[in-house]
Amino acid sequence: CGILDVQATCQDAIVTQQLLQEGFHRDLLMKVELGIMEEDIGGCTVAARIRLPPGIYVDPYELASLYQHNLTKEVLISDAVDVEAPEYLATDLVVLTYMKPDPQCSRCFRAALPVHGRYHRPAENNGEALVVLKSPEVLICCCDSRVSTECWKPSEVEAPCSGRNDYPCQWYSIKHKPVYEELILQVPVGLRQHNSLVCVVTLLSTVLCSSVILAAVCKYGHFS
Amino acid sequence: GNAEALVALLVLAALYYVEGGSLGKAAACYGLAVHVKIYPLTYALPIALHLQSKRHGGKGATGAGRRGKARFPSVGYLWQLFLNRDVLLFGTVAGSVLAALTIAFYYLYGWEFLEHAYLYHLTRRDIRHNFSPYFYMLYLTAESKWSFVLGLAAFLPQLLLLLVVSLAFYRDLAFCCFLHTAVFVSFNKVCTSQYFVWYLCLLPLVIPSIRMSWRRGVLLLSLWFVGQGLWLAPAYFLEFKGYNTFLLIWLAGLLFLFINSFILIQIISHYRKDAQVVEKPKQQ
Repeated sequence: CGILDVQATCQDAIVTQQLLQEGFHRDLLMKVELGIMEEDIGGCTVAARIRLPPGIYVDPYELASLYQHNLTKEVLISDAVDVEAPEYLATDLVVLTYMKPDPQCSRCFRAALPVHGRYHRPAENNGEALVVLKSPEVLICCCDSRVSTECWKPSEVEAPCSGRNDYPCQWYSIKHKPVYEELILQVPVGLRQHNSLVCVVTLLSTVLCSSVILAAVCKYGHFS
Repeated sequence: GNAEALVALLVLAALYYVEGGSLGKAAACYGLAVHVKIYPLTYALPIALHLQSKRHGGKGATGAGRRGKARFPSVGYLWQLFLNRDVLLFGTVAGSVLAALTIAFYYLYGWEFLEHAYLYHLTRRDIRHNFSPYFYMLYLTAESKWSFVLGLAAFLPQLLLLLVVSLAFYRDLAFCCFLHTAVFVSFNKVCTSQYFVWYLCLLPLVIPSIRMSWRRGVLLLSLWFVGQGLWLAPAYFLEFKGYNTFLLIWLAGLLFLFINSFILIQIISHYRKDAQVVEKPKQQ
């Protein structure tokens, strides 16, 4: 945990994010340690808003299924997701995921988001494309606790956060210090130099196979 | 999971009713099958040829007035094909069932239904790795000016084979449909394991007509699985470990095509439909 500086009134939150697993299917693990002094943050809702570049996406059906089985908190996605589109035909996605308290330390919250890499354009020489993930924005909304909001910036968030009285509360964006500013995901891509070889050999093979099958059909088939 | 079992049931039911002579029921099942999945649409030609032959087949091989004796279809032959009473009945009932279902679902779900059920397939470009031999070629050329021409080049062998298979084997509808679908799937631009069910469901109907030793059959089956295994290994490393195995996947896809072609040729060359051997006198 951070060292409390008595002079400063506002403490930055510390955000870490990690990409677990390998390949195209990863888990984005986000951890936030809030820098607020008050103990009573039990009534607060913490969420992370992350902008996913076109090279990566979340599967809304997978998320809905995980939410139904109570394995993750709810995730809100800004747009419809085309799960089949390659990176050059896809758009940015803004994803908001609610975070749950992390048992590891007090004032800590975490969220895991299953993400998937998209296919990228074939590259000239290097067989890998890079997807850059910026650190998420941390949002908090405290309806039922009397937590001072002077360090926070009010934010427009299209997500529900209502307290006991069931009227919506104000969302705030917390200033944070990310441990790493960016996270990089490497995605393998095809190599453009294979183009001619692949086209020629593929077409020759299919023509060969279809000719051989055609010959067999003509030989053994019963025409008229 | 996908409801492939449902389509398989409908296709088998349609074939069953055609063989049994209940054309109305067959056409209804067929229309429903096409509504559920589009691929049974390719069976239209074999079914039409089969129905037309059943009508005239009873007249004997040298029957006078027997139409359609030409070795290859002429325009006149095709015209007679469509004018056949059974074919018209089948086409009308199947078409009506399909139209009724389409209208009903359009009424229920609107444009979204049409888009997802039919239009999507026209513009869909799925370049992710799959069993198809064309996968890597289509991925690399996805944005190039050749992509349309290559797509067409990929379509032609498939189309030609489907036509010739229909003409050669329509008398045995189950066998014809089996070959049809096996060719369609093997030469398709996208091929996933789910598609295998489409022709595997017809295999039990076809096995009695194939005179092959058990050993050969088991060998071919093993070869088929080995082909898949050799593809799945580099695909696993690509998708779940992040290694660049595109070339290996492509080569495995080509190998799988060769294996499928080999198996198909073996099946064709060992096909013996006894009734056909008896009825047809030695020709040419």
